[in-house]
Amino acid sequence: MEEKKANTDPISETPPKEHNRFVRYFINLGARIKGWFVDKYTAVKDFFVELFRKRPKEEFEPEGPQLSRGERFRRGLKSQSGWLFVAPALILMAVFTFYPIIAAFIGSFQQDYIAAANQGHGSFNGWGFGNFVRVLKGDTGTGGADFVQCLVNTLVLTFVSVPLSTLLALLISVALNSIKKVQKAYQTILFLPYLTNALAMGAVFATFFKIIGTASNTETVGIVNIVLGWFGIDPIDWVGLNSPHWEIGSMRIPWAKYIVAIIYEIWSGLPFKILILFSAMQSINKQYYDAAKVDGASRWTVLWKITAPMIMPQISYLLVTGIMGGMKQYSAIVGLFGVTMGQDYDMGTMVGYLYNYIELGQTGYAFAGSLMLFVIIMIITWINNKVTKKRTTYR
Amino acid sequence: MKISIQHLTKIFPSRTKGGKAVHAVEDMNIEIPSGKLVGLLGPSGCGKSTTLFMLSGLESPSSGKIFFDDQDVTTLAAEKRGIGLVFQNYALYPHMTVEQNIRFPLDNMRINKEEGRARALDAARLVQIEDLMARKPSELSGGQQQRVAIARALVKMPNVLLLDEPLSNLDARLRLQTREEIKRIQRTTGITTVFVTHDQEEAMSICDTMVVMKLGIVQQIGAPQEIYDDPNNLFVANFLGTPPINIFKGKIEGGKVYIGGEAVASSSYDDREVFVGIRPEGFVYDENGAFTLNVDHIEVMGRDKSVVAVHESSTKPIVRCIIDSDVALPADATTLKFNIKPYKLYLFDAETEERLR
Repeated sequence: MEEKKANTDPISETPPKEHNRFVRYFINLGARIKGWFVDKYTAVKDFFVELFRKRPKEEFEPEGPQLSRGERFRRGLKSQSGWLFVAPALILMAVFTFYPIIAAFIGSFQQDYIAAANQGHGSFNGWGFGNFVRVLKGDTGTGGADFVQCLVNTLVLTFVSVPLSTLLALLISVALNSIKKVQKAYQTILFLPYLTNALAMGAVFATFFKIIGTASNTETVGIVNIVLGWFGIDPIDWVGLNSPHWEIGSMRIPWAKYIVAIIYEIWSGLPFKILILFSAMQSINKQYYDAAKVDGASRWTVLWKITAPMIMPQISYLLVTGIMGGMKQYSAIVGLFGVTMGQDYDMGTMVGYLYNYIELGQTGYAFAGSLMLFVIIMIITWINNKVTKKRTTYR
Repeated sequence: MKISIQHLTKIFPSRTKGGKAVHAVEDMNIEIPSGKLVGLLGPSGCGKSTTLFMLSGLESPSSGKIFFDDQDVTTLAAEKRGIGLVFQNYALYPHMTVEQNIRFPLDNMRINKEEGRARALDAARLVQIEDLMARKPSELSGGQQQRVAIARALVKMPNVLLLDEPLSNLDARLRLQTREEIKRIQRTTGITTVFVTHDQEEAMSICDTMVVMKLGIVQQIGAPQEIYDDPNNLFVANFLGTPPINIFKGKIEGGKVYIGGEAVASSSYDDREVFVGIRPEGFVYDENGAFTLNVDHIEVMGRDKSVVAVHESSTKPIVRCIIDSDVALPADATTLKFNIKPYKLYLFDAETEERLR
């Protein structure tokens, strides 16, 4: 009987086509997205069907005499009291999160928006992708920051400093974990930068790298240049107007400033990362290390084969949050390079770009930029999740 | 490989100022012949695990020496001693597969991949887990994890295999099965094996030699049966045997051993207060026997029956006597009389608790 059924079954006769992994992934994704919509659709449909269902009267008042109007109101209110509890948060989010998101989304499609026109209500010149096109082309006509420059700066700073900072934090945590005396004191010292204001730190950092006078006629140089001088290297104007840079097409690569910013980012990112990694290491069962010792593992092997995989959840957390934070970098850049973010915004970041155009009154460009930043962060985070998920689930 | 431990002592300094230092192991002397299975047995805190960790090199002794054959390994690092160590909770690396776990020691020895894989498979075959090589430890049962841990210890072909409470995390049935397994593996490999346990039954069933410890001091060393039949002191007699030995307060007077008012055996020792230990199987039912017990109830086990009784001189709430099932006991008797097998009766000094020999 079963055999017969199997023979007549058309599906079993033609086996499904073998797709490669890439195609399979997208087929899968499509099915999941469709499933999501179907679920939502059924839920909404059920809700309305239930809402408009003709119900017999006794279902509303199943027992007892007719309730008074006040009592019915009181009961009705009570059944909806959950909303009351979430209301404060909901109202705040609506005003400060949802409204701005929607307004920015709408505003990004309003071309040539002028805030001051139309008695302060603002005016715009039709709907379309004009803002996006101009932002991407760098054709804003206001002398403000350049989007591509800002994007490249942000990506370089983030993807160099976050992995380096995490790696350094890992090594420092291992060192911290292996000392016994004054461990607490070191912990405190290492955590101090976390409590310090970013702008203040940036300003102090800039002083380290500063130069007063010209490169050939230096009167005062910062500590970094003094140290370089011991090795016979001429002072470099790290953060000033004569800072060395490369030019690629219309884009500037201010490598000296990159170095300063990256060193700063690594340094300021360390405390939190050390805190997280160190506490994660403390919770690893000591027996794994005893076992590794008996098995003749070197310190290096222990670090990469045992410690690092064991704290992989924390490492990936730091990478994800570090990259998201790096994409939103702004205040430190201002602290280091001033409000113009270097020379003609050559050290501008994505968030810096947004502030810049809001300040210039060109909110349309700022909106368009913010929308693109949002999409970029979303894509990076999604990739991040995909990559790290594989490595972190072993329990 | 022969192991000899000479005057081994481990003192843990006190945590608080002016507190008392803990003497975990004191002046231990053992010779372990090559290829034997040796059990360190004792209650918690008797220093048996500390001894094992000193053998492994993870703890360093306060004084004394350890020799593997003729080599002094006292100060040798753990990884250079050529030992395999199985931890109480296995310490399998959770992020590695079974195969990676087993191969970990080989990778550290820079053995090439092909050979490493072959040796890992051999070790896995020995403990019968070759089908589980691709799994992660979290996907294994306790018994399987245990086997992986043993395979990991064996794969580098150690001179000495050390097992720390290998069976304590397993359920009762698996424990029985695994202890046979350990015995079998030890026999096939011929590796000198030292294992730690607090379960006397476990130790007695698989050890060639047993070391009974209490509070860091070795009480007795010998073959299990030897120690059971000839305990050195009250502690050893009490610790070994299920059901446990019966202990009575008694005295020696004029060449006779008295429990309560009854003379149960003769003795050549001077008059003194003693503890009298009688193994449960040392009672022989006799209507005119020398020793009277007040019967509480009788448990029938099939193979034999055990008389559960009380006696005013007993140091334990009940006295248990194991009698062959074909011995007819009078029904509903409230008292029974027994003779005592002389070789199942031990006398211990009431003060020192040492055996009178």
